[in-house]
Amino acid sequence: MFRTPFVIALISTMASPLMAEEKMNDLEIAHTAYTAGQLDIRYAHLALAVSENEAVRDFAETMIRDHTAVNVAAGALIGELNVTPQDNALSQALVSGAAAKRAEFMALSGEAFDCAYATNELGYHQIVNQTVGEKFIPWATVPQLKALLSDALVTFKAHEGHAEAMVAGLKCTS
Amino acid sequence: MYVLNLATRRQFGLLLGAGLVSPLAPKPLLAHDGPHRLEVEISKFRFSPATLTLRQGDSVIWTNRDIAPHSATHTDGDWDTGEIPKDGSAEIRFDTVGKFAYFCVFHPAMKAEIIVESQ
Ligand SMILES: [Cu+2]
Repeated sequence: MFRTPFVIALISTMASPLMAEEKMNDLEIAHTAYTAGQLDIRYAHLALAVSENEAVRDFAETMIRDHTAVNVAAGALIGELNVTPQDNALSQALVSGAAAKRAEFMALSGEAFDCAYATNELGYHQIVNQTVGEKFIPWATVPQLKALLSDALVTFKAHEGHAEAMVAGLKCTS
Repeated sequence: MYVLNLATRRQFGLLLGAGLVSPLAPKPLLAHDGPHRLEVEISKFRFSPATLTLRQGDSVIWTNRDIAPHSATHTDGDWDTGEIPKDGSAEIRFDTVGKFAYFCVFHPAMKAEIIVESQ
């Protein structure tokens, strides 16, 4: 049996390909959306440990605050629906991609770290937003999940804009 | 009927939040029909209305409808609501005439202004 492939464009800054080739169910979508938020929180903690740049630190704190709020709302919905999110290939690709990125970042400091973190945040939010907007929201069938993803997307789009401003402000080469 | 004594009121400057108002301060009875509480809704990363005009002594109540916490923070640092969580509100009374630009300290692209007119 064949399913229509849903291919998500690759962003060159991603360490590993992020592809949603097959339509995912609500529990898989919930798992991946939650995972994406947790990974961004982890990147932010690394940034707070390494960076001394105020704009980068402010951004990282906002990522922790906002992604925590979104995931608290996701946790509440999961509890309300009494379901268990399902791990899946896309979540796993995100986790291993982020682990590779973190290893890369840990070798950096100063401006090199700031630029690497900022550029990755921009790319990460771009790909996550594309996935949530073009795949997850249309695919989701549970109305509360659709609504939460739509609210989350507004937040993530603000982050994308914020990341863009941060990258521009850092005047990174390349 | 009481008429507001502007010279006296101005000494109190900007009073942040009802809890910070001195119990010794005279109750602000205004020459129009009393102090108003005006609302600004924060939704989808926007302050609405983006420009709000009020009279001296009026208060503004910001209510956040987003999942992400926001703030309303004066650009020059004179006042700040602090973090407003989802469905939370914060109130600030404006006793000083002027134009006050403010933004969300967590999301600096979110900007708006309050215009305070004299009685
Ligand atoms: Cu905000």
